[in-house]
Amino acid sequence: MLGRDSRLSMRLNHTEMSWREKLWQINWGLLALITAVTGIGLLTLYSAAQGHIQPWALKQFLRFLLGMGILFMVAMVDIRFWMRHAYTLYMIAMVLLVAVQVRGTVGMGAQRWIDLGFIQLQPSEIMKIALVLSLARYFHGATVQETGRPLFLVPPLIMVLAPTGLVMKQPDLGTALMLMMSSGAIFFMAGVRLWKFGVLIAGGLAAVPVAWGFLHDYQRKRLEVFLNPDEDPLGAGYHITQSKIALGSGGLFGKGFLHGTQSRLDFLPEKQTDFIFTMFGEEWGMIGGLVLLTLYALLVAYGYAIALRCRSQFGRLVALGITTTFFLYFFINTAMVMGLVPVVGVPLPLISYGGTAMLSLLFGFGLLMSAYIHRDVPIGRRGAHED
Amino acid sequence: MNLFPSRRRPAPRIQAGDDLQANAPLRLDGVTSHALETGRSRLLTTAAMFFLAYSVIGLRLLDVSVLDRSTGHAAPTATSRDPADIVRADITDRNGAILATSLPTVSLYAQANEVQDPAEATRKLIGVLPDLNAAEIQERLSSKRPFVYLRRNLTPRQQYDVNALGIPGLYFEKDERRVYPHGDLAAHIVGMTDVDNKGVSGIERRFDSRLRTDHQPLRLSIDIRMQEIVHDEVAKSMKEFSALGAVGLVMDVHTGEVLAMVSLPDFDPNDPPGGNDVRLFNRATKGLYEMGSTFKLFNTAAALDYGVATPTSSFDATQPLHLAGAVIHDDHPQARWLTVPEILIYSSNIGAARMALDLGAANQRAFLDRVGLLAPTGIELPETSTPQVPRVWREINTATIGFGHGISVTPLHLITGVSALVNGGEFHRATLLARAPGAAIEEERVTKKKTSDELRQMMRMVVAQGTGKYADVPGYFVGGKTGTAEKAVNGSYRRKAVLSSFIAAFPIDAPRYCVLVMIDEPQGTKETHGFITGGWTAAPAVARIIAQIAPLTGMLPRREMQTPGFVDGWATRDVARAD
Repeated sequence: MLGRDSRLSMRLNHTEMSWREKLWQINWGLLALITAVTGIGLLTLYSAAQGHIQPWALKQFLRFLLGMGILFMVAMVDIRFWMRHAYTLYMIAMVLLVAVQVRGTVGMGAQRWIDLGFIQLQPSEIMKIALVLSLARYFHGATVQETGRPLFLVPPLIMVLAPTGLVMKQPDLGTALMLMMSSGAIFFMAGVRLWKFGVLIAGGLAAVPVAWGFLHDYQRKRLEVFLNPDEDPLGAGYHITQSKIALGSGGLFGKGFLHGTQSRLDFLPEKQTDFIFTMFGEEWGMIGGLVLLTLYALLVAYGYAIALRCRSQFGRLVALGITTTFFLYFFINTAMVMGLVPVVGVPLPLISYGGTAMLSLLFGFGLLMSAYIHRDVPIGRRGAHED
Repeated sequence: MNLFPSRRRPAPRIQAGDDLQANAPLRLDGVTSHALETGRSRLLTTAAMFFLAYSVIGLRLLDVSVLDRSTGHAAPTATSRDPADIVRADITDRNGAILATSLPTVSLYAQANEVQDPAEATRKLIGVLPDLNAAEIQERLSSKRPFVYLRRNLTPRQQYDVNALGIPGLYFEKDERRVYPHGDLAAHIVGMTDVDNKGVSGIERRFDSRLRTDHQPLRLSIDIRMQEIVHDEVAKSMKEFSALGAVGLVMDVHTGEVLAMVSLPDFDPNDPPGGNDVRLFNRATKGLYEMGSTFKLFNTAAALDYGVATPTSSFDATQPLHLAGAVIHDDHPQARWLTVPEILIYSSNIGAARMALDLGAANQRAFLDRVGLLAPTGIELPETSTPQVPRVWREINTATIGFGHGISVTPLHLITGVSALVNGGEFHRATLLARAPGAAIEEERVTKKKTSDELRQMMRMVVAQGTGKYADVPGYFVGGKTGTAEKAVNGSYRRKAVLSSFIAAFPIDAPRYCVLVMIDEPQGTKETHGFITGGWTAAPAVARIIAQIAPLTGMLPRREMQTPGFVDGWATRDVARAD
């Protein structure tokens, strides 16, 4: 294709972009979508507090502002920087995960947080991003032959299983599942042969009885109740039952903003965090729920298109990893509150009340934006701009 | 697939996976193109999976919010009960008032092998559940068994407190507690269940499988308002006369439905006494008693029905009757010939015995059989008895049965039989279940209507002029018969240990209800001048009961009887002269 126009060749020659150029490249559609979803979230938090901005909506808004700042900063940084420091970030996340095991704050029956004084840090959230970056770096520039070698796949597998095991031990089943599944997506996109997935899945299934032994009683109970929620409608199945009742009572058009009785009367537990979708669904009905789902779908489509559009393998894998993580967040959460999957404690992205998830998500979107801005930047095998 | 064309530059014609080097000519060798193919197909696969997941979520949303109406409206509050969740059905009275119901509760158990420190756990548990036995709990917690009950049926508050202790190895299981909101009021009727909610007595036991399988409430014939009145009045009498026990019964004479049934002493089924406690004994359906003079109603009715006597015939009661080595006396000796009504009014044993002898053993037996006195009543309770009747029906048996000795029946037998005598002669089996309105009632004619009419005239005279004066309630025309049976102890009779009773029907010209009060071993008081007979002890209780339940059923007091030909105080002059 020698008939390439001069502008492109100029662009490709010019691998360092100026700040002005980067600003021009910002994907405003993606930002608008993120802001719209967060806006819905703030409104719902406002409603969950019976029409008050305290205690949730205001705090969440401030976090959103902070997160948007992070997003811009991350987006502006050259994507090759993130590639170079992917393993460093991964190591930091691992150290934090171990630290949380050793001396973490126990909350809601699980060791998940490190209290830094001004913020409750949840290392597993950082690991979600770090793992995506590391795997993307590992598979960047890997040739088809390399990817085909089973031994080549051992280091990334360890990279996935080590944090997954730690997170599982906290115990945080939801995050562990998300780590595994988003990693799986990256492996898949990196071109790992399907039969290897088959072998892994078979191995995983064989390990289920062993894993069952390691599960905590409350986790087993959740799985049992998921399989038969009516068995214990006032106990562990209470969440799901109440959630389905609230959604059902919303009907087609909902009860209206600030008028969701089930949530208002506190029948619905955790209405500001994991079960916020139920509250939203009760007030806005099925139509509202579908609108929200459509917004999410658009966000995922943007991420997907960015992945498609990236020239570098690293950018593509990062975009896809982040998109998949985001997708898993909202898929697991909505499926959970509608009783499709067990209650595993995954928040609704950008909407549920919670700091670490919001910040790490916006950090992830920053990476996605960075991948978009630097979509045409070629990246060498080691992260330099030229090999 | 280029969704984001730059606004400043035209889209570069570059596809995903292109291995572009700056300004390098594009060359695709076989391996690279294969990798490209793989990359694209996998991107498409991922997209398809995203889409699929979206569809699943969207459809589920439709399902949950719009289609699944049942879940949305079945249980709007956390406190409402799911009917399918309640194992045992309610028991109600005839008006739907709840006599027994089930509360969902939780029971505390331990997987003792998981309990780390039994002593510490016991100390904490006693702190919130002080009624537990510390030694016993610690022993159970130390047992290492995978399942030990610690306490059944906790209140939500207690459950919360135990939960807050955070003792590992302690668990709750869903349980159900039977609650009897009326306490002891209908204890002998409703009965009770054991800790596993299995019926162990009364209706709970008789209908155990029905209550487990059918969630519709079981409706009894009892009217809890009448039950309350009867319970109250009978208890009052029992206390007044320092009696061992007492029975009160009210029956609808046209259906055989038991409206009230009290057996004292009784118990609270919410907190029942253990073992063979005397309070658990239902005197009304299981106690067998020689009823005494109230049986003269059956004797008289049989004589009238078989044509052996008429209301104007007389029997010789001038002297005690010697028969087969026994002597039959009168309690209120008149020492003259008595007419049939006079035999009832003065409760003459001699006259009744002579009438019975005239009737003959075969007729007497056949008649008693017809009015249900020789077989179990068939009441819907497990606590029943079969009457004790003479194995060989000799002449002496015939004579004593004429005034209610030598045969033992339950109080329920008595009221069921008398109901048949006063309602025009139709026998209905006694029942504790409410009859559906309009349902056909199985009935059996046992006497001529004329017999019933004549007997009722005499029952009215007993109250108007005879031994039952204290049973009268102005305006309700009570008719009845006293009974004072000496209790047989070790084969002989004790004069001071008696079973006093009064059986009444009202309004006697067209009876609707029969009332029976029986007092076991009443002691005389100053008010009764030391008398312990049925007329002094049981009759006033009957009067008090009728005075309260008659208005309850909508009956207005009347100045005169309404049935034509029925005269209040019939044969008054004769009796007055005889007095």
